[in-house]
Amino acid sequence: MPYTNRKFTPMKETKIKIEGLNCYYQRKMVLKGCQGVFEENAITTIIGPSGVGKTTFLMVLNRLYELIPNCRVAGKVEIRLNSRYVDIHSLPLATLRKKVGMVFQVPNPLPMSIFKNVAFPLRLSGVKDRKYLEEKVKEVLKDAILWDEVKDRLEDSALKLSGGQQQRLCIARAMITQPDVLLLDEPTSSLDREAGLKIEELLAGLKERCTLIIVSHYADLTRRISDSVVTLKDGRFQEHGNSP
Amino acid sequence: MNRLTEYGVIIFAWITGIILIGAIGVLLSFLLYKGIPALNLSMIFGETGTLDALLLRKTVVDGLFPAIAGTILLIITSIIWAIPVGVASGIYLAEYCNVSWKPLFNFLLDVLAGIPSILVGLFGFAISIFLHRHLSEHIYPCFLISSLALACLVLPYIIRTTEQSLGNLPFSVKTTGLALGASRLQNILFILIPYNLSSIISGIILAIGRCAEDTAVIMLTGVVAMAGIPTSVLSQYEAIPFYIFYISSDYNSQEELIKGFGASIILLGICVFLFTLSNILKKKVAIRFAIHK
Repeated sequence: MPYTNRKFTPMKETKIKIEGLNCYYQRKMVLKGCQGVFEENAITTIIGPSGVGKTTFLMVLNRLYELIPNCRVAGKVEIRLNSRYVDIHSLPLATLRKKVGMVFQVPNPLPMSIFKNVAFPLRLSGVKDRKYLEEKVKEVLKDAILWDEVKDRLEDSALKLSGGQQQRLCIARAMITQPDVLLLDEPTSSLDREAGLKIEELLAGLKERCTLIIVSHYADLTRRISDSVVTLKDGRFQEHGNSP
Repeated sequence: MNRLTEYGVIIFAWITGIILIGAIGVLLSFLLYKGIPALNLSMIFGETGTLDALLLRKTVVDGLFPAIAGTILLIITSIIWAIPVGVASGIYLAEYCNVSWKPLFNFLLDVLAGIPSILVGLFGFAISIFLHRHLSEHIYPCFLISSLALACLVLPYIIRTTEQSLGNLPFSVKTTGLALGASRLQNILFILIPYNLSSIISGIILAIGRCAEDTAVIMLTGVVAMAGIPTSVLSQYEAIPFYIFYISSDYNSQEELIKGFGASIILLGICVFLFTLSNILKKKVAIRFAIHK
């Protein structure tokens, strides 16, 4: 009921354009000619039944699908970078994945300290200046509403944090490279209600800085924080409308 | 009926467990009972002073010290050869290998794991003859050939544990680094290997045990009696497993046989020492990375 018969009315600049996107696992077609656009600096939630291809769609956007054996993609996916649209397949993988970050359903902190976890993407890019790293880590941890909880134990293992804290840490880690798009695969599904609400609060604050695409099973999450909702059914986007 | 079957299975499991522990207990007790009377410093260092022998100032000719040193050096060298090749092969199979090629590689790996050690020894021997004929007349069966042959023997343990531990990681963990912009190599080096170090060390522990006990390989590739401590990788050497085999098959007196039991206890001690060292390392790694699997 809540998402039917709503017209798609883009209010902002388009960040991602999808045209005729097909995705196959071996011979099985998971995504069947998906079309659509995703607004910049907005939260778009993708909902749909289990196994319909929501996570696959996210993995197409940052080309993680390439790691799945026998997974193929056809069609056009363009992302707006520096005011022009670029096909994601023409971008170097590392560049694309820094521009399109991803947070998984189950928090996956790396087996290292909280500080090293958050600083990891910058270190990968060759940043060695400790002072700069400390500033950036502090900044993103504050954005992730985690700084006050961890500021005195940055050298502790990130694996000692609670599930909710770990998920916020993963979001902070993904945000440290200042991605243009952040993909979140059911970010609150493995957390209790309180931790889930904190994540929601965090995500609502992040959309000023990047475009968020969230896969979620929970309609209440989509209602509360989404700007628009897409339903993926039978491999296609069935509805594309603005959330109340 | 179901309940009865369940009780039957539990009792069977208990009995097999007890038999296994009992067998190990009997074996160890027998070994200790027979071997402990032979254990003393003169068995290890003979007439040579302990300090002189340890500092390599004098050669031990009538003790087991050269064999102990040879065994430890052989295990360490073989493991040093086997680790990079084994871990790299495991990573290749888990991360890079084409899906259609994987069954073939797995089959070949199973074949390698199933090759009797005497054949690996023969292969090492053939290599040494080939090198002697075509490369240098100074190359004979030696420490280097032995360690390489032993490394081949233990490779499957390291490859399998590395491959399986990497393969069993959840997709989200495997792709964490990649999703953050890491290259495949960075992902392997900074995330996958630290995550799996504990499991990889388990494979290395298994390999250490295999290196320590194997006699067939070294018998054909360089071990001899009375060779002393190896002075180079091309020299021959002594090893405890060979001493045990030699003394037990060709003893002249009861005293010599008891010395064989004593040597067995020493070999067991070397294994326990290396296992403990590896386990400490494994635990430290597990604590450091607090692996949550």
